[in-house]
Amino acid sequence: MNFASFILAQCLGALSQAAVLFFIACGLTLIFGIMRIVNFAHGAIFMLGAYVGCTAAALSGSFVAALIVAPLAVGAIGMAFERVFLRPLYGRRDSGAHLLLTFGLAVVLSELVRIVWGAQPKSLATPEALLGIVMILEQPFPIYRLFLIGLGLAAGIALWQFLERTRAGLLIRAVSQNSEMVHALGTDVDLVRTAVFGFGCAMAALGGVLAAPLVTAFLGMGANVVIDAFVIVIIGGMGSFLGSIIGSVLVGFVQVFGAYYFQDLALALMYLLMLIVLVARPGGLLGKEE
Amino acid sequence: MPLLECKGLTRRFGALIAVDAVDMRLEPGEIRAVIGPNGAGKSTLFNLITSVLKPHAGEVVFAGENITGLPVYRVARKGIARTFQLCHIFPALSASENVRLAAQARDARRAAAIADEALEHLRLTRFADISADTLSHGDQRLLEVAMAIAQKPRLLMLDEPTQGLSLEETDRAVQILKAMLRAGDLSVLLVEHDMEVVFKLADNITVLHRGRVIADGAPAAVKADAAVRSAYLGGAD
Amino acid sequence: MSWRLALALVAGVALLVPFVVPQYSLTVIVSALIFSLFAMSLDLMVGYCRLYSFGHAAAYGLGAYCAALILTHLQVPLVIGIALAVLVTVAIAVPIAWICTRSTGVSFAMLTLAFAQLGYAMLFRFRELTGGSDGVVGIPRPPGPFGIDWFQGKTGYYYLVLACLLGSYLACRAIMRSNFGAVLAGIRENEAKTLSLGYNTRAYKTATVVLSYGVGGLAGALYAGFAGYASPELFFWLTSGHVLIMVVVGGAGTLVGPMLGALFFVFLEHQLSQVTDLWPLIFGSIFIAFVMFFPGGILGLLRRRHAAA
Repeated sequence: MNFASFILAQCLGALSQAAVLFFIACGLTLIFGIMRIVNFAHGAIFMLGAYVGCTAAALSGSFVAALIVAPLAVGAIGMAFERVFLRPLYGRRDSGAHLLLTFGLAVVLSELVRIVWGAQPKSLATPEALLGIVMILEQPFPIYRLFLIGLGLAAGIALWQFLERTRAGLLIRAVSQNSEMVHALGTDVDLVRTAVFGFGCAMAALGGVLAAPLVTAFLGMGANVVIDAFVIVIIGGMGSFLGSIIGSVLVGFVQVFGAYYFQDLALALMYLLMLIVLVARPGGLLGKEE
Repeated sequence: MPLLECKGLTRRFGALIAVDAVDMRLEPGEIRAVIGPNGAGKSTLFNLITSVLKPHAGEVVFAGENITGLPVYRVARKGIARTFQLCHIFPALSASENVRLAAQARDARRAAAIADEALEHLRLTRFADISADTLSHGDQRLLEVAMAIAQKPRLLMLDEPTQGLSLEETDRAVQILKAMLRAGDLSVLLVEHDMEVVFKLADNITVLHRGRVIADGAPAAVKADAAVRSAYLGGAD
Repeated sequence: MSWRLALALVAGVALLVPFVVPQYSLTVIVSALIFSLFAMSLDLMVGYCRLYSFGHAAAYGLGAYCAALILTHLQVPLVIGIALAVLVTVAIAVPIAWICTRSTGVSFAMLTLAFAQLGYAMLFRFRELTGGSDGVVGIPRPPGPFGIDWFQGKTGYYYLVLACLLGSYLACRAIMRSNFGAVLAGIRENEAKTLSLGYNTRAYKTATVVLSYGVGGLAGALYAGFAGYASPELFFWLTSGHVLIMVVVGGAGTLVGPMLGALFFVFLEHQLSQVTDLWPLIFGSIFIAFVMFFPGGILGLLRRRHAAA
């Protein structure tokens, strides 16, 4: 009985981890699908979102404010970056330029965070309404994490339906498949790209705000996250939205169970996973061949 | 003993069978052309022989040795050199650097001399120090052939060597190839669309259609073969 | 101006530096030279193979920590300690290189970053050995062999670093101009073709990565001996970032360009940090500008100006 409830608690923990990872990974995969660029700055964006969220919450006293302000602000920054720096380089065959550019953005954002917020971590208190624990099969489980699972599920379903059922979603999927064709049909593909890039950044920033009460906002939180997100997107397939959901859940479980059973080596476990996936399936499970 | 033997080579892409149980033999010193309509599987066959693709069934035997599935660079080292349908050269390097790199793989010490010789054969010596991407398309294709022979191969595989060439460039290429092939003791496998080139160069022809061998023999016989005509030549004489 | 003449001039000037500049400037100069070596080592991967590594801090950190531990725990002369540190770094680099070269592009970059992050985490895992966030302090510069101890002073150390830098540069230049370098050029231009010519391209790439780690490790070891301590910052991803910026801004694929980039970086940091706190932002911005408009880097710009003149 105790073992079952323990396993349940671990699973729920894994799912809450997966929820946060999902917000980051879905943005990365959408951006890749639409632009064929791996946004290396995604981790730094996540970090920026966390810090902006902390400040927004501190200034307004409201967690909800942070949840709204951070994605909007960071999403806008993302769109500006895409418009000014990435768009001119689409013609270039040399993919090294894109890699270096998004890397440059990561560096600039990280230094910016250090300059504005300083070297000390910033905390974000779990909102009153979500404090406390709930007993599930005699195991305590934080309400906040249940909230994360719920939010992740809701966002996943909403996005899925958006991509499948709406015209805008169809447009995004079309551009992912064949941007030239869509352009020839009269759509402003550049605008779609900017919008999707901004949206992807907004999602990552949202992930940052949600993660802040758990891990605090600290320098360097982006570097590991970008690796996690990359592994997820590789597992699920570059550009596959459903794949990002599957990948997030898988990695969430690996991280939580790995942390429990292997403790310090949990980090190594993640890298091992990345190696295995890269070696076995360079194109991912559900992805398009590059 | 045949130099190259393909036994029952098969390769699928999803539901499409690109190469279907192909048998083919090439004797030492023979010049064999592989022809067929678009999509017949010619380039796929080349890729199977050189191990760029792995077959789903069948094997490739070269000089009595089973080379199926070996890494690409190992196959090259066994003595097989090839050119590509979409001309593959090193654009930013000079013509002579291109050929020297090819020669170096085989004989590092004499690489420069071998390269000069190869450029001579293909009448490209005047371009030796010129950057390869500034050469005309025809000259680039000849450069690729120069690289292939600089590898001193036993089997030379040319994938559509005259594609995209003007009539005049094609004539020149055929003359050069003929002179070169008569001089050396080289075996050649040639994919070509240009029938005149095929009939001028080839000793034997293998005809592919939808991945299968539908005819195999001397040019005159193949020309007269009814199945080949209906699949392909359409009566053009 | 011929290469030999330029080299002789630069070497001549470099030899005279300690007699001309004040001691406190020498500190900055030695740091600049160590970074030059570090940047040059990355250029082997980035400029000559187009393998973008986001984790080169691993080479630096490995070299530094190995030297730190060897010099602190074993009573070996400084030079021997540094040499051993380089050997250990190279040994560790071999499996890392083999694994990373299985992929290219983004995947390669992520793998190298992952190893650097792993190294960073390991520092905290084994804190009894590595000192955790405090790092290893009080690294000695034991004299010897044969009682040689001129490197114990700053001026002597300067000459040690200079010798390593010049020696590494000459060695790397020779390698890149040899048949080995010609194959790398082929890999850069068209890897599929190079494979079909009969070259085991993965082996060539692995060898280049290992060499790159070795030279980077030398830079790290020299740093540890110079600064007297090694801290986790050396493994931090921003260190990888800074050295990549030096390479790209300086001019990749030239060996000399990245050295210029490093000098530019260090001197600018030294000047700017006295004036403003924003200098890291300035570097990131300069980097982005160069990626977009000057892919040939500073060296490329200088060459164009020279050709036009």
